[in-house]
Amino acid sequence: MTMSFAGKTAVIGIGATEFSKNSGRSTLRLAVECCDAAIRDAGLTPDQIDGMVTFTVDVNDEIDLARNLGIKELSHFSRIHHSGGAACGTIHQAAMAVHSGACNYALVYRAFNERSETRFGTGVTGAAGGATPVMVEFGWSLPFGMLTPASWVAMFATRYMHQYGATSEDFGRISVADRKHAATNPKAFFFEKPITLEQHQASRWIVKPLHLLDCCQESDGGQALVVTTLERARDLPNKPVVIASAAQGSGEDQHMMTSYYRDDITGIPEMGICARQLWADTGLCPDDIQTAILYDHFTPLALPQLEEFGFCEPGEAKDFIKDGNIELGGRLPINPNGGQLGEAYIHGMNGIAEGVRQVRGSAVNQVPDVENVLVTAGTAVPTSALILSQPG
Amino acid sequence: MSETDDGTDAGEFLESLREGVGITSTVRITPDDVNQPMIRHWCDVMTDHNPVYTDPEVARKSVHGGIVAPPSMLDSWLMVGLGARAPQSSEKGEDVGMLPIMTKLDAAGFTSVVATNSTHEYDRYLRLGDRLRFRQSLSHVSSEKKTALGVGHFFTTGTEFMDQKGESVGRMEFTILKFKPGTGSVPMTAEAGAAFAPKQRPRPAISRDTRFFWDGIDLGELRIQKCNGCEALYHPPMVRCPKCGAYDLGYKVSKGRGKVYSFVEIQHPQFPIFDYPLLAVLVELEEGTRILSNLIGVSADEVKVGMPVELAIQATDPELNLPLFRPARPARRETTLHFEDVKVGDELAPCPVAITPTLIVGGAMASRDFQDVHHDVELAKKRGSPNIFMNIMTSGGLTSRYVTDWAGPEAILRNMKIRLGAPNYPGDTMTFSGLVNSAGLHGSKGVIEVAIRGANRFGDHVSGTLELELPRREEI
Repeated sequence: MTMSFAGKTAVIGIGATEFSKNSGRSTLRLAVECCDAAIRDAGLTPDQIDGMVTFTVDVNDEIDLARNLGIKELSHFSRIHHSGGAACGTIHQAAMAVHSGACNYALVYRAFNERSETRFGTGVTGAAGGATPVMVEFGWSLPFGMLTPASWVAMFATRYMHQYGATSEDFGRISVADRKHAATNPKAFFFEKPITLEQHQASRWIVKPLHLLDCCQESDGGQALVVTTLERARDLPNKPVVIASAAQGSGEDQHMMTSYYRDDITGIPEMGICARQLWADTGLCPDDIQTAILYDHFTPLALPQLEEFGFCEPGEAKDFIKDGNIELGGRLPINPNGGQLGEAYIHGMNGIAEGVRQVRGSAVNQVPDVENVLVTAGTAVPTSALILSQPG
Repeated sequence: MSETDDGTDAGEFLESLREGVGITSTVRITPDDVNQPMIRHWCDVMTDHNPVYTDPEVARKSVHGGIVAPPSMLDSWLMVGLGARAPQSSEKGEDVGMLPIMTKLDAAGFTSVVATNSTHEYDRYLRLGDRLRFRQSLSHVSSEKKTALGVGHFFTTGTEFMDQKGESVGRMEFTILKFKPGTGSVPMTAEAGAAFAPKQRPRPAISRDTRFFWDGIDLGELRIQKCNGCEALYHPPMVRCPKCGAYDLGYKVSKGRGKVYSFVEIQHPQFPIFDYPLLAVLVELEEGTRILSNLIGVSADEVKVGMPVELAIQATDPELNLPLFRPARPARRETTLHFEDVKVGDELAPCPVAITPTLIVGGAMASRDFQDVHHDVELAKKRGSPNIFMNIMTSGGLTSRYVTDWAGPEAILRNMKIRLGAPNYPGDTMTFSGLVNSAGLHGSKGVIEVAIRGANRFGDHVSGTLELELPRREEI
């Protein structure tokens, strides 16, 4: 099955606020600022925007943005579910919308004060809203103190370690690579603050086997992107960054963060579904990818992503990531911007923007001769992924 | 020079306490023959199912040739029970033992008592009809010590046990701390009380589809959803069987046994509604489904993927029952280990013991120990304890059961040396672990020493060593 939009749409603009721990502004203001910047970067005027896509969990209403930005008429607006798993799904949705003709220029955004106002890391304790299916589902974990994303992810990590002999140091290498890359990215929160594997090992436990430095930071900020057809993109000032393909995936017996009931819980089958679609749509293979932006809210789930995409066999990511293979200059540099561990946690959207810069050739930590960039979205949830490529 | 509360000179007081040191009591006779009802009662409480204590047929064919008493009952035979009937003196002599020093310490305000060490040595197992004699001496009285429980004096007594023929059957050294209530720090009083205060955990949201599960938990059973069409099992529950399409879904009651499939130790952030460190576990039940829960009675470094666990439904507060898990009690070995099969460093599988009021009171009664702190909550509180707590003879009985369940029915316990630390209060779980310390030949006998600890939420309740003689493989 090949997506009819594969290779026929492009990202034409990106815009972001600064990334901080306390923006000092409302989330709506952040959303408007990053959208404003993305529209300008695309070389468009607000009245040309006629579609919008964001996350279901984003609190900024499309119509509020439209009024503030001077966007006049919208003919498409839709939202993608499942938290960070939505990231590449928003681009997927925008690409389908512009390719189908539902709109011409789709604005994609995500903005929050995730650090200064509504922190995810502080956990869920209440059953607000009664016995809705979502709260009933939470009822299998909350009474046992499994209240935070770190705790939900750690359960996969222990099993992965047991089954494949991976160690905490193997997880730490993801963090070390991210922080090394962030250290030379002035936009990164951890600019000029690299860490060593020893520091990772010495950092306190959050949920064992996860150290503090296995967990990504929490951030305030906004990121927006503009998508249109490749045909229209060619008339705009920026080099079009082709959406070679984008895909969503939800696996068998899928749960939200707690898919603990499958025969095996060391893989990420929903990411495998994305991988199969991307490779089929593009005809590419792992050797054709020069750099990958892997969703890194927690390091342990970066490893099975490499396995699901076929960069290595199941259980062998721990070997793949040794010897600097995932650092700049290595076989597959990951997250040259520093990722969410190093740059900022903008629910995966800043990673897509980094993918755009890598294809444009304008990244601060530019990987040489980039033809194709793989970008992935949140793990342990229904997810999404995409490949960005040079225009033909 | 320090002074006691009543103004007497501390040095003189200590001297008066030490007056009895070195004097041996008259030989006294224990109240009852070694008898089956007391043995059975003891074994019931300790859940010690070794048949050499209760099954005449098995016992006859065993190395003992007939029913024997659990060796750890040794000092139970001399306990006088309720009413404090003085043991009959069988010969003339000075009547000392523990009573005079207890009286002096009580009068000086050291009114609380806790046993801290017990050393048993067994010359032979006791048989039905044996009638024990014993002789006691005060061997040591410490100066005033500041302990976690309070300010007090330790004193040690020695007891020799003889049978009806006057032959020695065993010895005991027993150390007691008499202390002033309210002068310690942990964990007798406030902290222990706070640790048991119910914490209001988040309530599970319950729908029409999941009500059966939580109703089951309230009734003490773990229900696994079962499709009435095709028998498929599901957890978490479904509203429709995806395999056969049936909406007719029932449940089966789980046996409550499973293995650790994965686990984590939650440390941060900490919520006041939980106790930390908190172990979350994904259990794979024998029936095949998995369930998320907490693991209790074990510390993170003792947990391994694959470890057997068993269901422990607990009320985490008066309005919430939750299906929790603890390490499964290891199966009792039915064929005794041979000396040659044991190596130094061998580990005993951890074994949890749920500390219930029934166990504490039952253990006190089985050992005829009527100290109020072991059965009367109100009186225990008056003595500065948050609740009743387990007596040392029960700790000893559980310890010897743990080790002989591991070694087998014909392992012969030669001695048991235990030290008590954190009290066992109701609602806690104590988990035993053990390690073979040494193994060697004593003449032709194969003897091993096992080191054990039984840890509860405050730390080690009991730690010590036990020496066992194991059968040897036949010489070829």
